[in-house]
Amino acid sequence: MTDVRASQSASTETDAAAPFGISETGPDGTAAGATAGPPAAGAGAAGGGWLRWGWRQLTSMRTALILLFLLALGSVPGSILPQEGADPGGVQQYFAAHPALAPWLNHLGLFNVFAAPWFAAVYLLLFTSLVGCVVPRTFRLAGSARTPPPRAPRYLQRLPHSASYPSALPPDAAAGAAAAVLSGHRFRLRRPDAADPGSWVSAEKGYLREAGNLLFHLALLGVLVSIALGGLFGYKADKLLVEGQGFADTTAALDEFHPGRLVSGSDLAPFSITLNSFSASYQTSGEPAAFHAYITYTASPGASAHSYDLQVNHPLSVDSAKVYLIGHGYAPVFRVTTAQGQVVYDEATPFIPANTGTLLSDGVVKVSSATPSQLGFEGVFVPTAVSVGGTLESAFPAADNPAVSLIGYSCDLCMNSSVSQSVYQLDTTGMRQVTAAPHLLFPGQTWTLPGGEGTLTFVGYKQWVSLAITYDPGQVPALVCGILALGGLLLSFLVRRRRMFVRAVPAASGTGSVVTIGGLARTDASGGFKDEFASLSAELAAADAAAAASRQEREPNNQSETGA
Amino acid sequence: MFRAKRRTVVSVAAVAAVLLAAALAVSLTQGSSKATDPGYILFPAGQQPSAPDFTATSLTGSPIKFASYRGRVVVVNFWGSWCNPCRSEAPTLAVLSEQYRSHGVAFLGVDVGDTPANALAFTRSVGITYPSVNDPAYVVTQAFSQAVPITSTPTTLVVGPSGHVVGYIYGGVTYSALSTLISDATVTR
Repeated sequence: MTDVRASQSASTETDAAAPFGISETGPDGTAAGATAGPPAAGAGAAGGGWLRWGWRQLTSMRTALILLFLLALGSVPGSILPQEGADPGGVQQYFAAHPALAPWLNHLGLFNVFAAPWFAAVYLLLFTSLVGCVVPRTFRLAGSARTPPPRAPRYLQRLPHSASYPSALPPDAAAGAAAAVLSGHRFRLRRPDAADPGSWVSAEKGYLREAGNLLFHLALLGVLVSIALGGLFGYKADKLLVEGQGFADTTAALDEFHPGRLVSGSDLAPFSITLNSFSASYQTSGEPAAFHAYITYTASPGASAHSYDLQVNHPLSVDSAKVYLIGHGYAPVFRVTTAQGQVVYDEATPFIPANTGTLLSDGVVKVSSATPSQLGFEGVFVPTAVSVGGTLESAFPAADNPAVSLIGYSCDLCMNSSVSQSVYQLDTTGMRQVTAAPHLLFPGQTWTLPGGEGTLTFVGYKQWVSLAITYDPGQVPALVCGILALGGLLLSFLVRRRRMFVRAVPAASGTGSVVTIGGLARTDASGGFKDEFASLSAELAAADAAAAASRQEREPNNQSETGA
Repeated sequence: MFRAKRRTVVSVAAVAAVLLAAALAVSLTQGSSKATDPGYILFPAGQQPSAPDFTATSLTGSPIKFASYRGRVVVVNFWGSWCNPCRSEAPTLAVLSEQYRSHGVAFLGVDVGDTPANALAFTRSVGITYPSVNDPAYVVTQAFSQAVPITSTPTTLVVGPSGHVVGYIYGGVTYSALSTLISDATVTR
């Protein structure tokens, strides 16, 4: 974000128009406006010149804006096309629907945009561009905040604002009186030196503008670093938890784990959470009214246990991680026994809501240890069962009349694949359907499977919650830096940088002097400097008169023809 | 002079940014090509992490104190009856546990995210006779994660007689990999 405006002719230090704030020259001293073309090739240092030119291009505001635009453009396919991370099923569906196009899109990384190399290249370049701009600029701003005002120019009448008044004081004393006034207004002063030993004062105010600008740039760097911190050291995870169950925050226990680049499993906060019960209340329309997940947690193994009422938008903060309640559903409890009465399955099995309004839910039961055959069931759970034209439907999301409808399958050794499979899907290829029609069960009912395959009991139901666990170490620093950046920006917008110059020369009459004052303000958008200059001029003249009067009192012999 | 300082700053920033970019690029490519092949990892002598001490209950409800295994080589297998790779590796574990019984090598399962009924039905069906800790909430797993990254199920650890983890297998065990680890733990320590 190097300033690409064409710079004015290089200003000398005595020039009143010496640039306020940062210099407008490029980092290597050449005018920034001259960066339009590469350096002339030929000399031995051409390689270095090209490198510098490339670096200047990369860190120019134009490039940063183009990269920012590319980043936004690159995110578009991420929101249009299904993404591997968020919706792997959608990607499979897309492949099935567009067999010719999908592989090409996949080659371009469009199904995993945010991990695609080209996307990484864009944001790394943007990061480099911002850092490369902000760091040198920060040093320039720091330097400019320390720079004293330039010497007072010779001809103050030429400045945008000027005034003049006669003084009874000799030039040095007149300039001194003006200096005292300006100093009282907290101007930073510069007084005559060996190079220009006249009677003058040069004063500047509004350095806070530079401080604000500096704060803005430093805070911007802070935001970048915070975001990087979050990306490198943060993590996101999901966990489905059934009532009565608990889990320790360890990688193997999590259903989904998206660690930052520098996060390993041993970096997880060692807390554990148990879901004691979950209650959902609904309005008569079926709209949810309130969700409460009553949990017990310990911050680390062996620590004391605490109770917490976890609600939507009321997360649990534990060991710097945050735990959110993001979903809920039903987990019917099934017990499967062999024909000999041996229990081969007894578990609350989470079903996934297919209809979020009525919580009609789908799920599968895999009884891999059943004998003589392995058993699998595809089921529908309805919390409030009603029959709509012979079809099982749910009328209400609360469990007022829970029921399950199951289709049973059996097979020999078909579930022994060594490949990990979703516990929510049953691959029925090669399986025999146990009965032709689905079997309806209410709590406590037992289904005796035909062919000596055993029995299945619908014991009852439990509820489950899904939890999102996030840890973002960059969140708080990013917020703080964001606020600081805003504050710095406001300061740099609201504070005007302005200069006042005073020159006193001996009056033509021989006694006293003529004082000329000039004023200059840059970025005086609100136009307030004209009034400030007028009131300062009046104050200077009044102070001068007062000083002359008190001088006359102290030295009555001293003649003064131009009396106050 | 300030100008010279500025130039230094620019070059330092450039170098830092390029290094950062390179580091991120490397970690990005590593992240995408993360190996998932099961293999085993053997800790060099002197760098073996200590296995945690824990007390828990078995699937059948009897207490298990891990400290009581001290002085023997123990194979600790993290598994669940819901996990297909665990079911696939179970016959190998059953065979090896019988084979090394006379050598004094103990086997201990840690059944995670499971119910005892489902787990016992499975061990019965596959003929596993060694005990398993009932760890539905992954508490024991978390304790072991401080020593060895147990990122997924199954994972199998071999703990030496001194209570240090000799090595581990990530993913389903193979006969050769696990017997290699057991021999290493038995012979050298």
